[in-house]
Amino acid sequence: MQPGGIAMKYSRVIAIASAMCVLWISVPLFAHHSGSAFDQEHPVTLKGTVSSFEWSNPHVFIALDVKDDKGEVEQWRVEANSPNMLTRVGWKKDMIKEGDQLAVTGFLAKTGRKIMRLHSLTLSNGQQFDGEGFK
Amino acid sequence: MRNLFMAFVLAAAGLIGLPITLAQTAQHAGAAKTHSASTLPDLSGVWFMPEYHRTLLPKEDPPFQPWAEALLKKRDLENNTADPDTGPDPIERCIPPGVPRIMLQPFPWEIVQAKDRVIMIFEYQALTRQIFTDGRGHPKDLDSTYMGHSIGKYEADSLVVDTVGFNDKTWLDPKGLPHSDALHVIERIRRVDHDTLQVDYTIDDLKAYTKPWTAQRIFKLKPDWEIKEYVCAENNEVK
Repeated sequence: MQPGGIAMKYSRVIAIASAMCVLWISVPLFAHHSGSAFDQEHPVTLKGTVSSFEWSNPHVFIALDVKDDKGEVEQWRVEANSPNMLTRVGWKKDMIKEGDQLAVTGFLAKTGRKIMRLHSLTLSNGQQFDGEGFK
Repeated sequence: MRNLFMAFVLAAAGLIGLPITLAQTAQHAGAAKTHSASTLPDLSGVWFMPEYHRTLLPKEDPPFQPWAEALLKKRDLENNTADPDTGPDPIERCIPPGVPRIMLQPFPWEIVQAKDRVIMIFEYQALTRQIFTDGRGHPKDLDSTYMGHSIGKYEADSLVVDTVGFNDKTWLDPKGLPHSDALHVIERIRRVDHDTLQVDYTIDDLKAYTKPWTAQRIFKLKPDWEIKEYVCAENNEVK
């Protein structure tokens, strides 16, 4: 899928995300790699169900099942910073479990693969966490 | 008579020499004091960048040699078209980031000052740097390494670090600024206030740049943080 296709498919989500996030997303951060593989200009928010959670170096990974506009499930791979940095901003290694509902805001891979670099996370109870471990 | 004359000469010499001796003593005492562990400028602590930047933040445009400018453009293009974790950036394969880039990764690092060296402990990739401050020079016939060989000296309130002996397998910053094996990095590290560390970099690499150029970065003290384990290779793949 091309990046434009993603933009079309998630246009409503992008509109909401843009309104909510642009004001407070100031300095995108990338821990392990140089970061330019992600489209840092256009933050996107996705909502879905956790299929797996990996508390690992160099990135914490969330596999998220997200329904598209047609109701079909797509699996996204959401990568956050390292456990160390996330712990410093309040994450716990057991705070996300398979089956949890999450909203994730971040930046998508420019190549169109379903990979998101996480900027922030909202749990089903409304708690929000920074995904870059920088605050 | 001769004895009286000699006594006069010795007394005169003593009187003249005394202030010199005192001055020399004072000078040595001052120098020793400057370099004693208790009165070194205190740079110790866990430091972390206040915000992330993909470049070294050069003070002036780096004066590229043509090949270096072309290589930066090539890396930029590849960075923008590759999947995450499959691009040209060496650190995506857990290669050490080199100097000064090790300070540009968004992870804390700690300065520990010992009598004969300064130790920098980086959380990122669990790397360390030893900066020898005992007056030694760089070894001859230095083997090239990712992090180079560092010697340092204290000048007033700064630690001045001189590093050579690099290979050419690292990038100067996350964006991909190139360097050669002739890279020579000078870091002037100063605590501008209790919570703020300023590092002024001079990048001297005449194979890659036509003349030396400079950059500056700021780091903030994190008194409640400690350096933790980080294992790059643990789960380093795109699935």
